[in-house]
Amino acid sequence: MQHMGWVAVAAMLMSGCGKGPTEGPAQAGVLRLVVVPEWAGQPLQFFTEYREHMDRRVTVELLKMYFGELQLERDGEASALSDVVYMDLSDGPVSFHWAVDAGSHTAVTGHLGVPQEMNYADPSLYGAGHPLNVNNGTYWTWATGYRFAMFEGRYALDPASTAPLVNAFVFHPGREFCYLPLTFAPSGGIPVEPGDTTEVRVTVDVEKFFHSSAGEIDLATENQDHGGVPALALKVATNIQLSMSVE
Amino acid sequence: MRTSVALLACGLLVLSGCRRDADPGAPVAVVDGPFALEVPPGFPPVPDNAAYPMTQASVQLGRALFFDPRLSRDGTVACASCHFPNRAFSDTVVLSVGIEGRLGMRNAPPLFNLAWHPAFFRDGGVPTLEQLAIAPIHDPNEMDFNIHEAAQRLANEDPYARLSQLAYGEPLTAFLLVRALASYQRTLLSGWSRYDRFRQGDMDALTGQEQRGLELFNSAELKCGSCHGGFDFTDRQYHNIGLYELSSDPGRERISLDPQDRGRFKTPSLRNVALTAPYMHDGTLRTLEEVVDHFAGGGEAAPNKSPLITGFTMSEQDKQDLIAFLNSLNDERPIDQVGHY
Repeated sequence: MQHMGWVAVAAMLMSGCGKGPTEGPAQAGVLRLVVVPEWAGQPLQFFTEYREHMDRRVTVELLKMYFGELQLERDGEASALSDVVYMDLSDGPVSFHWAVDAGSHTAVTGHLGVPQEMNYADPSLYGAGHPLNVNNGTYWTWATGYRFAMFEGRYALDPASTAPLVNAFVFHPGREFCYLPLTFAPSGGIPVEPGDTTEVRVTVDVEKFFHSSAGEIDLATENQDHGGVPALALKVATNIQLSMSVE
Repeated sequence: MRTSVALLACGLLVLSGCRRDADPGAPVAVVDGPFALEVPPGFPPVPDNAAYPMTQASVQLGRALFFDPRLSRDGTVACASCHFPNRAFSDTVVLSVGIEGRLGMRNAPPLFNLAWHPAFFRDGGVPTLEQLAIAPIHDPNEMDFNIHEAAQRLANEDPYARLSQLAYGEPLTAFLLVRALASYQRTLLSGWSRYDRFRQGDMDALTGQEQRGLELFNSAELKCGSCHGGFDFTDRQYHNIGLYELSSDPGRERISLDPQDRGRFKTPSLRNVALTAPYMHDGTLRTLEEVVDHFAGGGEAAPNKSPLITGFTMSEQDKQDLIAFLNSLNDERPIDQVGHY
């Protein structure tokens, strides 16, 4: 997947969706943003059985996300990184990188999801390699917007059961109210030296998708949202937002 | 000649009863230039689509695509598989059948006068004809394909390569594919019924029974025209008409997320209504008689039912007169103008 991630990065740079190192400022370094899916501190294994917060058996089978309006912040100023980036984390970590000004930056900020203007643009505008290309399977044709995240898997309510997991959970939060702010501010800042690459590593703890200070998901009653259950969509989106951390 | 070919194709489509409605290899004559859309008398001007004007080639391209089952993943379902030209581009079944026998979510609506629609689908979730074209191609229960692969599949095929160059000066892409489909669908105009002739002064165009039905339609008691008014017999608003006390289909609520919109659906046009059975968003009413009975009965006690749905009493003769009037709304010429070119 690392390989696929870099293919995506290359495609993004070539398509002009992000700032490429060759187009950067004179005193430039490279910022690399790595998004790493985990389950309770360990690399997330798709189709592997876990126990969620209520001790129910679950597997994760699909995980896709968008980050919108990514910026690099320093001294109260922000420079744009990307309007939108797309990640399919189903095969592991995904990376993005940009040429940025050298200096002591403090945070990468953005949102979970797709900026409103792009969210409702005609998706046929976006060709191969673009984050909003409909081939990514994230476009809601009936509502002309994008799923900001797609989180799918299977579960069993009985913790003692040993039968194969059959029941599916599907969470597809989207729409404006799920466009939630993100801040990735490493404790040591984001120092970028000319010619060097600085990595910001964002850990996405998928176990926390099911529970956070904002609320918990009870799979017995909350296992499907395709955009029509706003309260559940917002809870899932908030849990995803709060599941992310940087060192 | 093309009219004959089109009619023959429609005839074969109905006779075969299958899901392969198109003959993608059928010859298409091309003379590019502005498409001379004939707007029905008394209709407002067609809303401007200046960025992608309809040309003869763009419309021909869209028409060829509309009837081509290769827009579906397994090559079995075309747009026309669920939107029959001789049924005002609606389907004949409760729920349309997509690839591999999959059933759609709602009854397929007719397609005409789309250029004036502010939003599409029964819940109004799609704002443009171009975006509308994407939905059935991507819907897993309909064509289960995608616009990029569909365009790639057809780009080098005749007539698509030729028509795309003529219409847009470049090979077919997903972007052009949806524009061409929209271009064709803008030509589907309904407004040449006997009622229209009557409205224009031909007093013999409607029978006495149909004229009595028209009076009932506009009467204060039935007030059908409150929602089914205007040149297209629709206010283009969303109403819960009490089909169910608690609608299992969210209707407009799916888009607005407003519980007050539960079970509300866009008012359909009544043009060609005699051709578009079964009725309602879920095709639950099979005949116009059942539709009239529903409104006469006032519907179920849905909490957000339109206050206009109060029920009324009418004699059997009144009902037949009203239905006779509704039958007069059928177009007397094909809706598809391309076929006449």
